[in-house]
Amino acid sequence: VTTIAAEELTALHDSVGGLLARRGTEADVRAAMETPSGYDPALWQELAALGIAGLIVPAQYGGSGAGPAELEAVMEEAGAALLCAPLLGSSVLAAALLAAVGDDGAAAALLPSIADGSGLVAVAITGTGGRWTPDGVQVTATEFAGRWTLDGVADYVIHGQNAGTLLVAARDGAGITWFTVAPQDAAVTPLPTFDHTLRLARVRLAAAPARPLGERGGGWAAAEQALDVARVALAGEQAGGARRSLDLTIGYSKTRIQFGRPIGSFQALKHMAADLLLEAESAISAARDAARELADEAPGARQAVDLAAFACADAFTTVTAASVQMHGGIAFTWEHPAHLYLRRARADAQLLGTPAFYRERYVQQLGG
Amino acid sequence: MPGTVTDDELRADVRDWLAVHWDPSLPRREWLSLVVAARWAVPGWPEQWGGRGLPAEQARLVEEEFGQAGAPGSGQDRLNLWANTALAFGEPEFQATFIPALLRGELEMCLLYSEPGAGSDLAGLRTRADRDGDQYIVNGQKVWTSGAATADYGMLVARTNWDVPKHRGISFFFCPMKQPGVEVRPLRQITDESHFNEVFLTDVIVPAVNRLGAENEGWRVLQTALAYERSTMGENARGPRSAGPGAGASHEVDLVELARAAGVLDDPAIRQDIARVSALRALNALNVARAKADLGLGTSSPVMSLGKLAMSRILHEGARVQTAILAAATLLEGPDYPRAEDANFLTLNAYFTSIGGGTDQIQRNIIAERVLGMPREPEVDRDIPFREVRGG
Repeated sequence: VTTIAAEELTALHDSVGGLLARRGTEADVRAAMETPSGYDPALWQELAALGIAGLIVPAQYGGSGAGPAELEAVMEEAGAALLCAPLLGSSVLAAALLAAVGDDGAAAALLPSIADGSGLVAVAITGTGGRWTPDGVQVTATEFAGRWTLDGVADYVIHGQNAGTLLVAARDGAGITWFTVAPQDAAVTPLPTFDHTLRLARVRLAAAPARPLGERGGGWAAAEQALDVARVALAGEQAGGARRSLDLTIGYSKTRIQFGRPIGSFQALKHMAADLLLEAESAISAARDAARELADEAPGARQAVDLAAFACADAFTTVTAASVQMHGGIAFTWEHPAHLYLRRARADAQLLGTPAFYRERYVQQLGG
Repeated sequence: MPGTVTDDELRADVRDWLAVHWDPSLPRREWLSLVVAARWAVPGWPEQWGGRGLPAEQARLVEEEFGQAGAPGSGQDRLNLWANTALAFGEPEFQATFIPALLRGELEMCLLYSEPGAGSDLAGLRTRADRDGDQYIVNGQKVWTSGAATADYGMLVARTNWDVPKHRGISFFFCPMKQPGVEVRPLRQITDESHFNEVFLTDVIVPAVNRLGAENEGWRVLQTALAYERSTMGENARGPRSAGPGAGASHEVDLVELARAAGVLDDPAIRQDIARVSALRALNALNVARAKADLGLGTSSPVMSLGKLAMSRILHEGARVQTAILAAATLLEGPDYPRAEDANFLTLNAYFTSIGGGTDQIQRNIIAERVLGMPREPEVDRDIPFREVRGG
């Protein structure tokens, strides 16, 4: 159990927020989202130098050895700036999964390059159904003469097109097992994403050579552990994005003049703003609480993570949708950033599972 | 002697004293007299007013020790709205009479703020107080007053100058309630309960010494009194402004159990609804915890101001889902149908929180202007003499 001092988290907010204020401006975001890789390698190196690429990678593998609380703090800043980077896919999901499957060889081979920013790892879980659950896995594994091969399709693989290694969940006779696959042994197709700041790929596997990781058939427990870390990270991104989107909207409402007065002086906008503040601040509370619970391995961690998963997703989509409306015509233009936040919010609300899915799991925890 | 006692010594002093004196069978006023005489009632106040001049943190220790013993009466330096207002604004002569009596619980009090024509716009009040020698003559009507029938005094705001803008002609009084010109009529609420009264004031006499703050400067006194009230509101889980129907978080229905009992727990729409309401409750608790932690670190938190708005939503949404779960059963009411009675009552009583103590709409204005810094709405009545302001 580690308790992170509030001052340390504030310092982390300041250092990442400061870097992104300089190097992750709207212009930088727009430039990165137009590139095939979807991120700026130079900025990624700066984040690696700050210890962010390897934030949750254990120190023995060259990482910062931080936990969910620090991760959540960083992700709030990343969400606020709409950072374009393989942070969630490689530095969070893949790093957490490598820690969870308990394969020392794979950890030693992959984690140092995740931490120093020199290599990316992508995680393939769901098939075309888009369910981050055991029954969503559509890849099958076959063993012949001591060699494993994989067949099937994994979809919505975050930054799959940029990865040097793929971690693929597959069904074998025993259940779900994790495998490493080299991208050149698979057909990795970039997908056109609604959120241009996101990169997704489809991975088709046909007798692709693969190496199993960890316990055979016990892969879903590792997946669930890694997904919890990723859910907390995503919740932080959503909370930070919601609050920034609201701040941009309020700022605009103070300067835009109609009927001889700032539009922010109209109650029609004030009432929306007050409700959105409640949404955004509740999201921040939920994300930070989930991070703390997960860090403490508290009995209520699962419930806290599920709450954050849907509350933060809903808050981000609600705030960003209202943001477009409150701005008016200017936000209907491509040049205005409001739609970038709305796009990110809509994408984040589907990645790793829908809000309705997490609400259902939450009710189950309540005894229903 | 301020600052000369350690926390441990102080705790030990309180415990020793309680061990000797605390007797749950004592009548409340008798007990409070003991607490006041021993200077435990207002430990953070100056000695002159029965306090010990302790720093706030130590005053809270005293309060904690009383709380742990289950003994009432301490912490009034934080919680006694009436005594705090009297201490902050009363004349010495008034304070000498009233403060000890208030601390000893000898006076029943009520609030005479809202009027039929001055709800959200409290500064638009039209009850008048006219100076007549060493007293004021008060005429007008107040509303939403709980405890009016038994009160000895009411904290009253009334207009003393009609020729200045609305905020600048108001004075603040302790108005004696037990006199012929005070008529109290109970209000019947939409829930069919009666917690509140209308109070009609006809040539009511208020001694001038009962005025708190200077004449025409009552708006500032009122703001301070309201701030005291708000600062302790969360603790008794009551609606603001008066001891009304305890609408707060005290009544939290277990929606899962209700749905199970009603046989609809497998309905996916109901399950999603239950998750939504339960989440609102959980999020509010997290917000409150975060606001407290922020305060502990010396920073103020925007979530502080959001609690009332959040609570209204929780209560309305909770009642809506309770109704959805029970469905046609909510057609009925009465003691034979307790679940329906509960859902129907909560549906109506939720308005206590979303209207009382400032409507949700006023609350949203306050959040937008004070937290988010959005510009104020132009006010047509702000800078003109109140006499010329349209009422109704």
